Amino acid sequence: MSAADRDRLARVALGRLAEPGDPRFAGLVAELGAVGLVDALIGQRDLGGLLADVAGRVEAMGPERELERAERLGIRFLIPSDAEWPRQLDDLEGSEPLQNRCGVPFGLWVKGPVRLDELAGSVAVVGSRSATSYGGDVAADLAAVVARAGHPVVSGAAFGIDQAAHRGALAAGGRTVAVLACGVDRAYPAAHKTLLDHLGAHGAVVSEVPIGCSPTRLRFLARNRIIAALTRGTVVVEAAVRSGALNTANWAGRLNRTVLGVPGPVTSAPSQGVHQLIRSGAATLVTSGAEVLEMVGGAGEHLVEEPRARARPRDRLPWRDQQVLDAVPVSTGARADSIARTAGLGLLEVRSTLTRLERAGLVVAGEAGWRLAALAHT
Amino acid sequence: MPFATAHTVSLHGALGHLIDVQADVSPGQVGTTLVGRPDASLNEARDRCRMAIVNSSLEWPATRRITILLSPADLLKRGTHFDLAIAVAVVAAAGNLPRLALEATAFIGELTLDGGLRSVPGVLPMVLAAAERGIRRVFVPEPQALEAAMAPGMAVLGMRSLAQVVAELRGEEVPEAAPVAPMSGSRLLSWRGSQRLEEVDLADLVGMADPRYAVEVAAAGGHHLMLSGPKGSGKTSIAERIPGILPDLTREESLELTAIHSLAGALEPGDGMLVRPPFSAPHHDASKASLLGGGTGQVRPGELSRAHAGVLFLDEFPLFRTDVIDALRQPLESGEVTVARRDESVKLPARGMLVLACNPCPCGDYSPHAPGNACTCHEVRRREYRARIAGPVADRIDITRHLSPLHPHQPRDGFGARESTAQVRARVEQARERQAARYAGESWRLNSQAPGPLLRERWPLPDEAQRLVDDRVYAGRLTQRGATRVHRLAWTVADLQEVDRPGPAQVDVALRLRTGEPLLLATLERRAG
Repeated sequence: MSAADRDRLARVALGRLAEPGDPRFAGLVAELGAVGLVDALIGQRDLGGLLADVAGRVEAMGPERELERAERLGIRFLIPSDAEWPRQLDDLEGSEPLQNRCGVPFGLWVKGPVRLDELAGSVAVVGSRSATSYGGDVAADLAAVVARAGHPVVSGAAFGIDQAAHRGALAAGGRTVAVLACGVDRAYPAAHKTLLDHLGAHGAVVSEVPIGCSPTRLRFLARNRIIAALTRGTVVVEAAVRSGALNTANWAGRLNRTVLGVPGPVTSAPSQGVHQLIRSGAATLVTSGAEVLEMVGGAGEHLVEEPRARARPRDRLPWRDQQVLDAVPVSTGARADSIARTAGLGLLEVRSTLTRLERAGLVVAGEAGWRLAALAHT
Repeated sequence: MPFATAHTVSLHGALGHLIDVQADVSPGQVGTTLVGRPDASLNEARDRCRMAIVNSSLEWPATRRITILLSPADLLKRGTHFDLAIAVAVVAAAGNLPRLALEATAFIGELTLDGGLRSVPGVLPMVLAAAERGIRRVFVPEPQALEAAMAPGMAVLGMRSLAQVVAELRGEEVPEAAPVAPMSGSRLLSWRGSQRLEEVDLADLVGMADPRYAVEVAAAGGHHLMLSGPKGSGKTSIAERIPGILPDLTREESLELTAIHSLAGALEPGDGMLVRPPFSAPHHDASKASLLGGGTGQVRPGELSRAHAGVLFLDEFPLFRTDVIDALRQPLESGEVTVARRDESVKLPARGMLVLACNPCPCGDYSPHAPGNACTCHEVRRREYRARIAGPVADRIDITRHLSPLHPHQPRDGFGARESTAQVRARVEQARERQAARYAGESWRLNSQAPGPLLRERWPLPDEAQRLVDDRVYAGRLTQRGATRVHRLAWTVADLQEVDRPGPAQVDVALRLRTGEPLLLATLERRAG
């Protein structure tokens, strides 16, 4: 058996033994290696109380069986030495725990044709489960634009923003990846079975949790660090103050990824968390897919034109001319001397300016004097 | 005895009065007088009846004095449908009819000079009114027998001529007569609009989860609805699919609506009873009279009444004339429209759903999507336009929704639910059944019609839910009228979710529907929070 195969089996075994993102395991894997750690645990070495925790699980280990079963289900198991391993996950190495979760995952279970080493430019679109239709529309629209531009979309598989993001990306014909807190063979929530099946066939479904495992609160928190680490930037669309999406945003910030937030009405509870992120300077405000692309793309790529009002003919006039134009009445005509008084400018200058403005089509001379032309109204 | 009484009906709006036509034939100065406030067309009835009787080979008492009284005498009477009753009364007074034959019987129809019986507008409401006053048998022009037969428990005799009526009353064999032309002219244009509406289905629409849910709630509780959005955002498409998700009319509604359409002369012979909710979409040039009802002399129901129990769709609502918009206020609150003509003030039912559509600005190109915004409106015009939307009518609208144009990716989104009209209608029907059970014995049928004070007293919101409403009121973001509307809406949302009583979750949905805030996706996907 090659070293890589032994490493792979050890990592499968660790997935069974440890809860994902457990800081103690992260440290020990870095120190002893996956194989060393598993051997130590099987050899009944007590590593700082770890043995007692995993004792019940050692018996149930069967990494070869597990890999065979995965293969039958069309699921592959990636480890850091694989070519398909997303290198950006290594940024998690040595990271400080957040909510007591940290570290590079031992491996990733993957189902679906999208290769994980192609996710370097990907964008995470995350948000609240109890999103509004506004948030859903914005998330789908953002994801569609981002995916169309060739950037894969990464999200969870929850109700609300997650599913909207996947739907947008799929409808735009782009790549999209769901990272789960349960085994990739499980449909959670059950209502998203069709969506997850579709992602498994056309995108990718990813998890560090072994096949068959159910999701727990801790596993969701651990999952969030993977979403943040896999992507170049995280967009938060609608997150209430206690939303898990903020945890993802925190991880993204820690890993020096771009953190973006889509604002909502200031009265809307599901947008409060995003507003807080933006207010504290942790996230940059974005309003469209194009703006997301500008932030996550390379320097000079996808530059967004600043939104500005349409130029009006009067905007291009010199200041003194505008001063005269402002003094010209709308309907009833006025004589040049009265306009000069109103504008507070000399009569000679006003006369010549008025003639110039008339040539530009901004004022007309009627019987009663000067008044604005239609062009000046626009 | 040279005196006889025949019954007929006089219509005053939707109110029908039983009229006794009393004919007296006695010696005196030769001539015919018609008294009891007849109008001009009715006054001509003397000549029509005389010639009709003579040409039907019956005796007109030409050598005596004939006095015809339309009683009660203080009501102004108009129309030509009194002819048949007058002629029958005269024939009976001359002693040519068994007097018993006229009992509990009403006569409706206009006579031609050769004694033919012509159709008249409003037969159904007349027959309904007669039935309520103890009339058991009615003679009507043959083409309208079907219409009259909709009144329950009424023996209807459709006749072609005066001679036939007289023969029937005498118990003789009814003679042949030429068929009578139906009231309406021949159709010069065949409009297929109503058929087209039957063909449209909610399943045709892509996306639009939010407005779909809104029209479902509106239909379930009969709530007024405002759809705002730029050109091409699907306002009209969704509005014209609302009648489809409404259940068939109840028997009561069906009678009311058919009576209104009969009054408006809009009932085609052979149409039978109207059973599907009507959809009426008047153009924004419409006058106050055409929308609310009017007419010179006789009251003609307006579009608002003709959409009773159905949908009145006002597209481009801010372009309607200000006086028309203002006049909508009273009917929206009371569910009936009061039309005052010179001599009478008439109440017509008007409990249809009002659906308003407006653009975000006069040019209709204003878009919430910053890059796509192509609005060229001047600021002042846009402000004026908004002011018209925010007027007093808007406060009487229960549900406000903002539609946005389709995103380019949406047509290819295979995961959105695209429910059909039939699926939604099934839920609307169930919600309406719950309301009918709750309001059994009351004078209203739907949540939107429940009087505010009674609602608060007998069907209150739980404290926790009421607090959500109160918070908004105290914050100045909801008027009292708005709070009542939220209360009604919350009940409809609960009825649709098959919850026994609205709680905070249902009130939250109601508040969002009322204020135009986006709904939670959980609501649209019909799952718990």
